Amino acid sequence: MRNIMLKEMKLSASPLAFLFIAFGLMFFIPGYPILCGVFFVTLGLFHSFQTAREANDIVFSALLPIAKNDVVKGKYCFVCFIEGCALILMTAATVIRMTVLSDAPVYRTNALMTANLFALGMAFFIFGLFNLIFVGGFFRTAYKQGRPFVIYIIIAFLMITVAEALHHVPGLGQLNAFGTEHIALQAVLLAAGILAFAVITLLSYRKACRDFDRIDL
Amino acid sequence: MSIAEVRHLVKKYPSFTLSDASFSVSAGRIMGFIGRNGAGKTTTIKSMFNLIHPDSGEIDYFGMPLIGNEEEIKKRIGYSTGTVNWYPRKKIRDIVSIVSRFYDTWDESAYRKYLELFELNESKAPVELSEGMKVKFNLLLALSHRAEVLILDEPTSGLDPFSRNELLDIFTGLKKEGVAVFFSTHIISDIEKCADDIVYISKGKIVSAMSKADFTGQFSEEGESLEETMLRMERGDLNA
Repeated sequence: MRNIMLKEMKLSASPLAFLFIAFGLMFFIPGYPILCGVFFVTLGLFHSFQTAREANDIVFSALLPIAKNDVVKGKYCFVCFIEGCALILMTAATVIRMTVLSDAPVYRTNALMTANLFALGMAFFIFGLFNLIFVGGFFRTAYKQGRPFVIYIIIAFLMITVAEALHHVPGLGQLNAFGTEHIALQAVLLAAGILAFAVITLLSYRKACRDFDRIDL
Repeated sequence: MSIAEVRHLVKKYPSFTLSDASFSVSAGRIMGFIGRNGAGKTTTIKSMFNLIHPDSGEIDYFGMPLIGNEEEIKKRIGYSTGTVNWYPRKKIRDIVSIVSRFYDTWDESAYRKYLELFELNESKAPVELSEGMKVKFNLLLALSHRAEVLILDEPTSGLDPFSRNELLDIFTGLKKEGVAVFFSTHIISDIEKCADDIVYISKGKIVSAMSKADFTGQFSEEGESLEETMLRMERGDLNA
């Protein structure tokens, strides 16, 4: 597995995939839909899939002495690695905003969602959607990327819009908790996001293995 | 000893069918796989790598079915796919440093030997190579891990006559070491020069799979060269 990950990082990946991890720091931007940071990270991954396709990466990988499932596993591991790096930045930004910057007026007057555990849970969830819709969709043909990415964009921005605006719905104000307010609810929402990410990614990976095994390269 | 065996391979496409392809590649022999463009050579070879799924038929290597033993089998196979461009913007050195990790049998001295023989520059990227040099780069990867069988799709296409000659000499050298070589080509003189066995495919059907001596004995007319025999057969006169 180490070898296939090295291949993903050194041969298949576009530098943009690594560079766009920095969009995780958008969780610091006040008055901006911070979940767009998740989308930009996945945009880097999309570009990486495009450059890999131009380099005949999938056929090259399938010819290596590894099981066909490992080709799929390599891609999912790489995607999860990039998402994990971005999530580390998002978590760091969230922790700073929930502690030392919890009373900063610039964040308190923010009409959009604040960076808290719910936002982090939503980031996990949207990354899970990317893995399900785009990565899983790609492995149905190991070639076509446009359609799954467009579907992902539509659903991701729908989710971002809902998440950013949800706390304005009467009764849901607790979602926009500052600092350690409603921490139990926040922790549950984060756990739900992580669980959704794990389950969605695992299901998508299993289906991608089945699809990839069926197609002709 | 049979190293690779293809039995009753069938693959149907809307406008083409590979029907009932069967042949066997033996250790220490060179088998030429010949047929005109679109005859089914690449479909057969892709099936032999499990890149496409035959509708029926079996493929075994070293007495093991390919399906279920892919990882182990591929370690013992060398492959080359003509002028296909892998990672066109990456340096050869970087591509090799990754590929070599997948083979515990990677032979650095063989790699250096063929690198020098093919006059490839490790600092170049595939995009900077001519078509012939791309073929050589793919062959370099195939030859550097002590493969027991080489499966090569059009390895001589795009090569100049000198390089082609060198390559066919390499095949002969490998054969003496017990390596089986299976290569597809549409250049009949390549087969004439070095092949022990011929698999001839036409319109998706294996017309014959036998030793070169048996082939000429069965199909060639008096004084006819292999090229003339094949051209006549391809015109539809099997003379069988």
